[in-house]
Amino acid sequence: MTRYFNTFTQRFTALLVVFFLAGGGIAYSFVNEAISMAFEAATPYVEQGFEVREDTWSGEVEPGKPLLVRHQLFRGNEYWFWAGTSWPGATVKVDIFDSEGQSVKLEGFVKPPPKKDQEFSEGSYAGVRTLPGKTATYFVRVIVEFDPEAAAKDAKLQGFNPAVDGVGEFTGTVDWGLAYGYR
Amino acid sequence: MIKTFSYPLSQLFRRGLSVALVAGFLSASGQDEAPLQIDLDNFPGEIVEKVVVPIPAEIFAVLDKLGEPNWGSGIKLPSGEVSANDRSLLALTFGGLVAEGFIAVQAKDAEEIQKIGREVLALSNALGLAVAVRPHSLSIIEAAGDKDWSRVRDELDSTQQTVRETMEKLRDDELSNLVSLGGWLRGTNVVTVFISDSFSEDKAELLNQPGLIIHFREVLEKMEGPSSKTPAMRAILVGLARLESIIGSLETISEEDVRQLRDITRVMLEEFYYEKSDSAADKAGN
Repeated sequence: MTRYFNTFTQRFTALLVVFFLAGGGIAYSFVNEAISMAFEAATPYVEQGFEVREDTWSGEVEPGKPLLVRHQLFRGNEYWFWAGTSWPGATVKVDIFDSEGQSVKLEGFVKPPPKKDQEFSEGSYAGVRTLPGKTATYFVRVIVEFDPEAAAKDAKLQGFNPAVDGVGEFTGTVDWGLAYGYR
Repeated sequence: MIKTFSYPLSQLFRRGLSVALVAGFLSASGQDEAPLQIDLDNFPGEIVEKVVVPIPAEIFAVLDKLGEPNWGSGIKLPSGEVSANDRSLLALTFGGLVAEGFIAVQAKDAEEIQKIGREVLALSNALGLAVAVRPHSLSIIEAAGDKDWSRVRDELDSTQQTVRETMEKLRDDELSNLVSLGGWLRGTNVVTVFISDSFSEDKAELLNQPGLIIHFREVLEKMEGPSSKTPAMRAILVGLARLESIIGSLETISEEDVRQLRDITRVMLEEFYYEKSDSAADKAGN
C-alpha cells in the first residue's frame, strides 16, 4: 500500500541529505519525525513551565501492537508524556500505569481524535498527564493504529498525492516516538 | 522556570488523588478509551528496552518543593586528575560534571556554571568530542551570564544528550551509558547529603530508584574490554550492588539508610570524580 506525501519538499530534502551523507561518509543526525510530532505536542506545555527532556524513546512498530516503556517518576513532580507518529493516516495513543498495572492517567488527548477515523492526517500525536502517587517505576503504553486501506481511501478522497512508486510504501511497520516533561 | 515553594508532599498527593478520582470517573463514563488496568505480567506487546535516566534536575525540583536546600554548599567540582587514556573514567566524569552543572543552576551561581561550561569543553576535548560539544558549552556560558536558568538546564541536558548520541553513533554504547551513570551518581550523592542534613520520609522516598540501580549494574556487568576489568569499574559495580541491597529491600528508607547511601555513593565517586579519602571509605564500610 502506498504512503502519501503532502510535505513533499521536506521529504525530498531529507532524501537529498541521505544521498549527500552516503556519498560523503559524514555522520550527521537526522530529524526523527515521530519525535518531532511528540515535541510539537509538548510545545504548549513548555509555556506552562514544563521542562521537556532531550532524551526520548523511538522506533518502528507494527500497527496495533502495544509498546511498553518503563520509566522512573518522582512523587512531587507533575509529568506529561507525549507520543507521536509521522505516518500519514496513523493515530497514536499513550497511557500510563503504575507498577500494579493501574492507570494513573489524570488527563490526556489524541490528535486526530480516534473516533473521527475518516479524517486523514499527516501524522498524529497524543499526550497523557500524571501526578505520581509515589516515587517508583511507571509504565507508559504507546499504541499506533493504522489501517493501510482506509488511509489510502481517505487520502484519495481528500486529494493527497501518492508517493513515488517504491518510496514510502507501507511495509508493515510505522514510526513512533515518546518524549516527556516535568515540573 | 521551576516554581519553588514549600508544600507537603502528602497534600500534593491528596490533591493528585482527588483529580485522579475525577479522571477515573470520566474514564468510566466512556469519555476516554484508556483501560483502568493492564496486565503487566502478560503484556501483549513489546517491552521497550531503552532506559531514559532522569536528569538530577528532576529530583532537585522536588527537593525544592520540600524546602529549598542550600544548593551552593552542594557544588563540589572534581579535584583529581583523570587519566586521558581511560575513556571509561572520562565518560563517568563527564556525566558527573553535567550533574554538577545542574546543582550550580539550582544555586543560581552563574560563575560556577561558567566554570563548569569550560570544564565540560575541556573534558569533551579529551574524549575527542569537542566539535559536537563546543556550541553547547558556549550556550551554557552565555545563558549563565544572562541568568537564564531554564536555558542553562536545557543546554546541560542537550550537552549530555549530544555526547551520548555521538558515542552511540561511534558504536560506543558502553561509554554512553557511563555518562548517564556518572550523572546519576553525582546527582544521587548530593541529594543524599541534603536529605541527611534535614531528614524527612518524603525526601528519602526520592531515593527509591531500584530499577535504575539494576539498569546500571547490568550495564557494567555487560561491559567488555580492558576498561571493564579495572579496579575502579569493579569498585563501582560493588557500590551498585551495595546500593541495591539497601534500596531494593525496603518499603521506606530510614535516616540511617540515607547516610549509608550517601557514604557509598561518595566512595563510588572517589573512583573517578573526587580524590580518595579514608574517612568516606571507612563510613561506607570498605
